[in-house]
Amino acid sequence: MEKYKFLDEIKSDVMFEAYGSNLKELFANAAEAMFTIICKIDKVKGTEVKEFEVKGENLRETFWNWLSELIAEVDIEERFFSKFEIIEVDETHVKAKLYGSSTKPELGETVVKSLTNHRFEVKKTDEGYKAVVSLDI
Amino acid sequence: MKEKLKQISDYEWVLPKEGKMNVDGLIIGNKAIIAGLQDDTIGQIANVAQMPGVISPVCALSDAHFGYGLPMGSVAAFDAEEGIISAGLCGFDINCGINSIRTNLTVEEVVPRMNELIEALFAAVPCGVGSKGKLRLTDEELDEVMVKGCKWAVDNGYGVAEDLESMEENGCMEGADSSKVSDLAKKRGKPQLGTLGAGNHFLEIQKVTDIYDEEFATKLGVTKKDQVLIMLHCGSRGFGHQVASDYLKIQEKAVEKYGIKLADRQLACAPVNSEEGQDYFKAMKCAVNYSFTNRLVMTQWIRETFEKVFGKTWQEMDMHTVYGLCHNVVKLEEYVIEGKKKKVYVHRKGATRAFPGIPALIAGSMGTASFICKGSELAMEKTFGSSCHGAGRSMSRNAAIAKFRGDAIKTELAAKGIVAKSTSPKVLAEEAPLAYKDVSDVIESVDSSGISPKVVRVEPIGVLKG
Repeated sequence: MEKYKFLDEIKSDVMFEAYGSNLKELFANAAEAMFTIICKIDKVKGTEVKEFEVKGENLRETFWNWLSELIAEVDIEERFFSKFEIIEVDETHVKAKLYGSSTKPELGETVVKSLTNHRFEVKKTDEGYKAVVSLDI
Repeated sequence: MKEKLKQISDYEWVLPKEGKMNVDGLIIGNKAIIAGLQDDTIGQIANVAQMPGVISPVCALSDAHFGYGLPMGSVAAFDAEEGIISAGLCGFDINCGINSIRTNLTVEEVVPRMNELIEALFAAVPCGVGSKGKLRLTDEELDEVMVKGCKWAVDNGYGVAEDLESMEENGCMEGADSSKVSDLAKKRGKPQLGTLGAGNHFLEIQKVTDIYDEEFATKLGVTKKDQVLIMLHCGSRGFGHQVASDYLKIQEKAVEKYGIKLADRQLACAPVNSEEGQDYFKAMKCAVNYSFTNRLVMTQWIRETFEKVFGKTWQEMDMHTVYGLCHNVVKLEEYVIEGKKKKVYVHRKGATRAFPGIPALIAGSMGTASFICKGSELAMEKTFGSSCHGAGRSMSRNAAIAKFRGDAIKTELAAKGIVAKSTSPKVLAEEAPLAYKDVSDVIESVDSSGISPKVVRVEPIGVLKG
């Protein structure tokens, strides 16, 4: 199963589909897809580890909050993240270990301003889960 | 949907009210602009025209293109008593905008030193994803920036009082309330003041190529061809993005709470006088003020850099602010609607204020011309005092990166006499001139229609991008 695929639907911004055979994989793969836009993810050393927890009222909101708060975390911690180890996840809660290192201009790619509601969805499929995410860059 | 448009003048096309639309749509554009207009953009105008308290018309300017809810390059106004206010109709980068700074230097003086100047500016102005800001504000300082805007900047040695006279809202929207801003937004904002950002944000050194309105240009201190100007384009950074995201969520819940019927979920909003509406307005003003301050701090660093390179004070080089304005903002303004004065909440999303006698700054894409225009009474009558803000993308970021090589773009720009520096070659590829639409039709539409006549045309000679 591929982890994610970028779509060319919106000229001004970025859109991708993320996949997972379970919620752990979906959450990790979606975060990785987003961070390939934010930074040169292959060059970010995962030497600094941080525990990270996000909640929501349902799966859609939890997934939204997961990605949104990761965007904020880049600015707050001044860190890029390259690996996302999901420890626990269900429809209302995700706990993870984020592996990353300090931001440097030579590792940066694009500013992601926010998630948008354009085609945003998280749904079960025959293979597991699929999410569609649009990012305002 | 394009077949529904009715041409009413050379540059005005009406989307007549029908079905659930409460008002007409209006599109400003020449034939080329209309030919290139996508149905989904027109559809979005029709959706906004269904919203409660919307005032006629919902306007798409000549650079309008598909956005989230409201197209980028559009304006929508709502009744100040019965309408709505929407975070989404303002945009995520609150007060993304432009400052134009003049100099009395000429191309002959600057071009020979451009490499040195660009390198020095690159060192002085943090840009790009991953760059760290130089100012690390305390909580108290951030509070002051949110409420006092550029007044804080001047008090702390960034800019002078005179700069504020040449800025929309004098560099500070009154009524900002820092208690309406989340802790998350504040945490993001503290380390980022004085940073350029990335993407289509830029710092350009420009040369004047044409002056169309000598009298108005002279008032702005722009007097001759080959005069060097500077343009700074950026916004409220992570601070503003977070304010927008926070209130998008709050207003999605408000839609349910107040039973607002919407054609598109992305038009989430709240009644103007509700807590969710007014809290957003007060928080948005904090982000507007942060962005004005951001640009003034960088203006001062640009001045100091020019001082080091040219060995004169910035005052000797006449490096005063020509004008500073917003492209994404909500304002409470008064217009004559059906013969009566009425207060409305004007949402400008990728649109420039174009009031009579005031400059309207319209940026081209990297390597192409930008314009100083002026507002007009016609804009007040037709488009809620608004004009376009620049050409949109014709090609996605991924497509541009696949098609163009950053080092080749840099070489092509150099062949045109433009020194470009970015944090990585990929940025130049992403922002390649051909990834954007041609700004000439965008400008021709607002100029020839009388919405915002051209005053000065500039071309880049040096470009800094994150």
